Amino acid sequence: MKFIDKIRFVRQNMKKNRMRVFMTVLATAIGCAFLIMLASVGFGLQKSIITDLTEGKVLNEIYIHGKEDPGPENKSYMSDKDIEYFESIDNVKAVTRLQYLHYSQEAVVSIEDYQIQPRVAVSYFPAEVEMGMELSEGRLPSTDNEVLVGYNFKEYLEKPSEDANEPKVSYEDELIGQNLQLKIRKFDQTGNIEYKTIPLKVVGIKEKLANEFDKDTNITISDALFQQIEEFTQTKKGEVLFQEIEYEEDYLDGVQLNGERLYDRVSVYTQNVEQVKGVSEEIREKGYINTSVTDQIQEINTLFLVMKIGLIFVGTIALIIASIGIFNTMTMAVTERSSDIGIMKAIGAHPSTIRQIFLIESSYIGILGALIGTVSAFVLSKAVNIGLPFLIETMSEESSPEGLMFSYIPLSLVVISASISILVAVFSGWRPAKKATSVDVLKAMRRDL
Amino acid sequence: MIQMKQINHQFIIGKKKRKTIVPVLENVNFQIKQGEIVTIVGKSGSGKSTLLNLLSGYIRPTNGEIFIKDQNVTKLSEGDWADFRIQNLGFIFQSFQLIPSMTAYQNIELPLILKGASNIARKQQALDMLEMVGLSDHADYYPNELSGGQQQRVSIARALVVKPPIILADEPTGSLDSENEQELLNFIQKLNRDLNITFLIITHDDQVAAIGHRTLLIKDGKLQEEKVHEVHR
Ligand SMILES: Nc1ncnc2c1ncn2[C@@H]1O[C@H](COP(=O)(O)OP(=O)(O)OP(=O)(O)O)[C@@H](O)[C@H]1O
Ligand SMILES: [Mg+2]
Repeated sequence: MKFIDKIRFVRQNMKKNRMRVFMTVLATAIGCAFLIMLASVGFGLQKSIITDLTEGKVLNEIYIHGKEDPGPENKSYMSDKDIEYFESIDNVKAVTRLQYLHYSQEAVVSIEDYQIQPRVAVSYFPAEVEMGMELSEGRLPSTDNEVLVGYNFKEYLEKPSEDANEPKVSYEDELIGQNLQLKIRKFDQTGNIEYKTIPLKVVGIKEKLANEFDKDTNITISDALFQQIEEFTQTKKGEVLFQEIEYEEDYLDGVQLNGERLYDRVSVYTQNVEQVKGVSEEIREKGYINTSVTDQIQEINTLFLVMKIGLIFVGTIALIIASIGIFNTMTMAVTERSSDIGIMKAIGAHPSTIRQIFLIESSYIGILGALIGTVSAFVLSKAVNIGLPFLIETMSEESSPEGLMFSYIPLSLVVISASISILVAVFSGWRPAKKATSVDVLKAMRRDL
Repeated sequence: MIQMKQINHQFIIGKKKRKTIVPVLENVNFQIKQGEIVTIVGKSGSGKSTLLNLLSGYIRPTNGEIFIKDQNVTKLSEGDWADFRIQNLGFIFQSFQLIPSMTAYQNIELPLILKGASNIARKQQALDMLEMVGLSDHADYYPNELSGGQQQRVSIARALVVKPPIILADEPTGSLDSENEQELLNFIQKLNRDLNITFLIITHDDQVAAIGHRTLLIKDGKLQEEKVHEVHR
């Protein structure tokens, strides 16, 4: 018997009991839609969280926290030797590194009456540019006294006021080309504070940060200027050693100038995202503690995988209930048609043909159910994504987080749930189909009557 | 064409503890040549149907061997039996055994579908058969819309549509009136003459028995006597 004839045969048989077939398909469709909807919440949340996490982040960045076993004097800072090592690794595209002026310096930058206490940094421009650093205005510094400022620098460059209640006034004029004063300090041998003012010239303003809540008020100075500050304080990173504090011998040795640069923030970038894992592991083996967004995503994904499997498992129970219906329908179909089956066998229908006919019928129910279930799940999912934010707003007078996706149905979920539906359908049709093949010809025909 | 060797058959009735053995056929031996019409007669309960069921593969003999078309079919698997049936055997049953949800045309087409024939061949052959049994204008009738004789003709058409070399019939005239019966007998003889089809027909009707080239009598499960009708030679 040809496959197409089997299908035709099945369709004819199903037409004989439309209502029963329809109800069974409906049950399967509901089961399938339930499974998809349930799991789609897991997929939706995962997608929202991952999108949130990766927004504006560079996925091929490996952030170096420090060494597992930092030496006694250089704390957790990276040195030029470490940078050299990172740059020597295969697949590494660039290594960005920042040096910050020590927090104890409390350097103040001013212009006219306006003041700001920014973070003073030195960056390695070739790597920054390679990794896509852009300026919103101006150009990169070329001489020792030229500086870059962060996008929000101007906004926080304010006039100090006596009255704390009064709103602060920000600097309004064009900043590019302006001369700023950087004021640094140290204590001399006698315990007196000594100030030094260094003139700076703004030549560029950096691009806005990806996350709008992050404010960039940094000022980026040249390496030469940074060394000049170190010369002045005679400490690494321009650290201010206070007279009234008794520093330990070791500590004082550590801050001694020795011509070595210490980096506060080092990031290693790979050529592409796939290489992150390998490079990150290689670095870790060498004793550098590091993390990457890719790492975090992997962790979150693992967590969600467990959640999704759980949801799919629960959803499958609905399908198993529906499968009882399929089993029932198929058993009844076999019983009803047992005399037809007997006649067919009597004239030469192969048992496997009979079995296939019934298996096709049950998988037909499964496929139809999966199809209807999937379509309804898509409609439902759309409705939930549109309707739920409204509901949350009216119920709690609070707006739901923007871009939060409650339900998301990726192709993989459709494939998984359709497969489960069809599998369950075929499985529940198995016994009835087997029963059909074992119909006794003589009994069915009641030939001896 | 058909041969039974030392066939014994017994039924076992009842559950394990209280089972009784009902011997039905004992030491049955016979041979049928190609192109013969052989009729089988015997009292009710003598084992005629059992003999035919063995030849159809619906039941298996307790011992002995059966050959059809020189093939030992005694130990064929269920599936192989099915394939063998569709290739070689046509069946005419006393109570027609048409599928009630299928039209006359669909019933006749069924063996062709099972055999995997193409659509065009199927249509042609089924319509030819309908014409041959004189039911061309009843193609779309369902079995319960046909008379007994018409139903029997549909069942004959179904048996013949795959052009089997052998036709097995168990009381084919049992549900027919004398007019229809005569028509059917003429038809069988015509098929035998024209297509050289071998027939094995069970009957308790002398008139039917008489169309056989030979008649076998079964008595108490044994093949008792053979009567050769010289008329047909
Ligand atoms: N499935 C069965 N189980 C047990 N005994 C059976 C079975 N089928 C037939 N018999 C027995 O075998 C014997 C022969 O039955 P069979 O049907 O072959 O008779 P028959 O010659 O065809 O009779 P009839 O002319 O009435 O149709 C009977 O005694 C019957 O009771
Ligand atoms: Mg009988």
